[in-house]
Amino acid sequence: MTGSDALRRVLPVFLALAVTAAPLARYLPGWVVGLSAAMLLARGLLLWQQRQLPPRWLVALAVAVPLVLLWLTLRTLIGREGGSALLLLLVGFKAFETFSLRDWRVLLALGFFLAATPLLFDQSPLAAGWLVLSLFSLTWAMAALHGKQPIFASLRATLQALLLSLPLMLVLFVVMPRLPGPLWSIPAASATASSGLAEDMAPGSISQLIPSNEPVFTAVFAGAAPPRHDFYWRVMLFDQFDGRRWFNAGAIDESGGQVRGGYPVSYTLTVVPDKGRVPVLDLPGEVAEGLRERAGMVWQQQRPSDTRIRYRAGSRTGALLLEPLDASHLAYYRHLPAGNERTRALAASIRARSQGDEGYIRSLLEHFRLENFRYTLSPPLLEGDIVDQFLFQTRQGFCEHYASAFAFLARAAGIPSRVVVGYQGGEYNPAGGYWQIRSSDAHAWVEVWLASRQSWWRVDPTAAVSPDRIEHGVEQAVPAVRTAVPILGGQPPAWIMALRQHWLAANFAWQQWVVGYDAGRQRSLFRSLGLGSEVDTAAVLKGLLLGAVLILLPLWWWWRSLPPREPLLAGWLLLMQRMRRAGVVVTSADTPAELLQRGTSLGEADREQLAALLDAYVGLRYRTREEAAPLAARSWLREVRRFHPSARR
Amino acid sequence: MSWPRWWRALRFRNHLQAWLVRRLPPSAQWTLRHQRIYLLPTSFGWMLLGVALAIWVGALNYAVSLAYALSFWIIGLLLVSVLMAYRQLAGLTLQAGTADPVFAGEVTHFSVRLDNLSSWPRTLQGHLVGSTGRAPACPLPPHSSVWLSLPLATTQRGLLAMPALALSSDVPFGLIRAFAYVRLRQQALVYPVPQRDVLGLRQGVSGEGEAVSTAGDDEFSHLAAYRDGDTPRQIAWKVLARRDVLTSKRFAGVAAGGCRVLDWHDYPLGDDVESRLSRLAWRVLECEREQHCYRLRLPGTEVGPQPHQREQALALLARYGEAS
Repeated sequence: MTGSDALRRVLPVFLALAVTAAPLARYLPGWVVGLSAAMLLARGLLLWQQRQLPPRWLVALAVAVPLVLLWLTLRTLIGREGGSALLLLLVGFKAFETFSLRDWRVLLALGFFLAATPLLFDQSPLAAGWLVLSLFSLTWAMAALHGKQPIFASLRATLQALLLSLPLMLVLFVVMPRLPGPLWSIPAASATASSGLAEDMAPGSISQLIPSNEPVFTAVFAGAAPPRHDFYWRVMLFDQFDGRRWFNAGAIDESGGQVRGGYPVSYTLTVVPDKGRVPVLDLPGEVAEGLRERAGMVWQQQRPSDTRIRYRAGSRTGALLLEPLDASHLAYYRHLPAGNERTRALAASIRARSQGDEGYIRSLLEHFRLENFRYTLSPPLLEGDIVDQFLFQTRQGFCEHYASAFAFLARAAGIPSRVVVGYQGGEYNPAGGYWQIRSSDAHAWVEVWLASRQSWWRVDPTAAVSPDRIEHGVEQAVPAVRTAVPILGGQPPAWIMALRQHWLAANFAWQQWVVGYDAGRQRSLFRSLGLGSEVDTAAVLKGLLLGAVLILLPLWWWWRSLPPREPLLAGWLLLMQRMRRAGVVVTSADTPAELLQRGTSLGEADREQLAALLDAYVGLRYRTREEAAPLAARSWLREVRRFHPSARR
Repeated sequence: MSWPRWWRALRFRNHLQAWLVRRLPPSAQWTLRHQRIYLLPTSFGWMLLGVALAIWVGALNYAVSLAYALSFWIIGLLLVSVLMAYRQLAGLTLQAGTADPVFAGEVTHFSVRLDNLSSWPRTLQGHLVGSTGRAPACPLPPHSSVWLSLPLATTQRGLLAMPALALSSDVPFGLIRAFAYVRLRQQALVYPVPQRDVLGLRQGVSGEGEAVSTAGDDEFSHLAAYRDGDTPRQIAWKVLARRDVLTSKRFAGVAAGGCRVLDWHDYPLGDDVESRLSRLAWRVLECEREQHCYRLRLPGTEVGPQPHQREQALALLARYGEAS
């Protein structure tokens, strides 16, 4: 293909590739995207100037350089980043050896594949919108490359084909069986996980905690939701302290314990697991499918992945965890490193004046409440004996400081304790009927073991210092957050709030029904549609048969549809119809002059208008200058539409 | 689009084509219906199907819901393309025209009229099975007709029946090709290749030399189209005045002896039939060029001076030996 015709046919291909690759700029190294764009541009320039392509061996040689660079940057050529970058580079270099129609088509086919890669990173409604745009431009590029139709006809055919195949896509999307697991193992995603909870807890190492407002997971309760102050979502357990940080030593791996008492709730969570860890409401019952329970009633995926999952869980809020501990476990949960002598002394003095373990815990909480502690997200840095420093000097901190100090005080008095990290609270979205839990809801609290009850008891020292944090969330507890995070604070107009709620609800529905449409969802949908209790061959066939109606109806309509009538003809037919309605006898063989004669029974004004219309019709129909006709004919048709004659009274 | 070698080795397409064509009865008119329209993906179509499947596998593995949607949409696009390609041919009416006679070795053009009686536009290509070269796309607006001129190289004299006509369209995306084979009843007359003959030369110089000067002047025989070299005396001025067409009068000598006789038996008995016909054809042309009166005698028939003598004579030569 050469010449200006080739340029006209190939230009849409460039356009489509640019549109398709654009979202990748957000996720891939800048030079990969830039290089590919430059390659495409250069190829376009060569085409424009009708210059020779470089020899193939040179292109093949040149592609090695960015591949090595890519390896050095990402350390992989497969997986999400590696694969996408590789494909994008290949498209850029393939453009340099495209000459025949077949070459260009191979490039376009690669473009279709490229359209799928941004979906690995983002499946929001926005990404879906962009996908539609990519698909449209790629399809149009196919029609333009084919080159046998004018541009308007190819755009029309593109739109038609995409709209007609839309129902088919929807039916296949719903009906085609989804597999519960991957075909081959996916490279570990740990390197890419950026948000989520830290692996350990070192109070005092951060002087400024900036709450990120990123959504972490959503919860839908079956039935009434428990009160907000019972929303303790367990994620991790830290059982050892080394003087600086709390962490999970991993020494105890068996899960045990019985949940006693409490108020039962049932709910469904949708979450992207963080290194396999998933949240669960305090205290959980039977573990959900695909998950397992680790020590201390926290849940993990059996096979960690970083794709969004949904699971149903049941919990008992306000329950006790009955778990008899033997001597070695007791020692383990009482272990403390040396140091923090003032804190130990404080523990001894409080212990001396309180009765029993429970009395001691209550006294500790009382101490936090009365001793002028302050809840803040920008506490001073701590060094050395950090618990001493916090309890006796700074007295400012957030949940980590309080949980750490409290657990230390408990252990100092010989009471087994551990720190639980997760989320507390959530925001209810009335439009979507779900709770949204965000990163800013991250929280840490303490569990102490009471020998008298042989069970773990949840204690939240932060609640003693700042009850608002538990009742209303962090944005109410810390005034500074309100201005720092615009979406949390201030009071935007009500309609903006409502709009935001609806947008969030739509997003939630999108996550639940489109992005999260997995094997489980499919099964429940099949059940509710009455297609069968399992997604088997019979059920799928039934679904396809049902969907066939949906698919064939638009196709049938398209097949039978006539192209729009020519305006003059449409106007003429309409005029005859209006005359008939006014009681004038007209035949389809009438000429304009005859029509005017038959119009004598009309009123004076109507007859004049009719004469003008017919005059214009003759002028338009038999005019010699064709080029201005379509617009004039359309305005004439509009005039006919406004013409409502009636018989003379 | 060139096929890979292994594919050509299979020759699946050729077998399919031959089989399809064998099943066709010839007719003067055809309307394409679903029985005659075949649909196959082009190599681009197969490629895109492969891409859709690859995306599907990826979606399965990475559990990317929107990738499922993309994959299924591409498959939907392919299926809709099938219908769109089918619609390019369905309901199309074909009518055989006539083909101009040519000498063997020249290219004859069969003509076929395509009628688009539907309200949608079509774009398609037509070529004769067995002919080489790419056919240009032929646009067919709604409610319109177009004449296709289909070239075919000839090799042999005789009546050449029009080979099967292949119509195809891969509009709008080039993903699916709809094609149909039809056999229209149409024949092209192929004259024998003129072969220079000494007999004709000798005749022209001597032999019935006296006839040359007299013949052609005596009696009006018929009118023929004007040819370069016709004298003003030969031009039919009255016809020119009346119909504004340049025509020349042709004259024939009174005596048969004034005409050259181009006889089958001028040649030794053992001579090859085709070479005889070729030489006679050359002599016919030679007489026509010199505007000399001639008679062509073949066993059992004779063409004397008459309107369209050239065509008659050549047709006789072309169809010699045909079972009638």
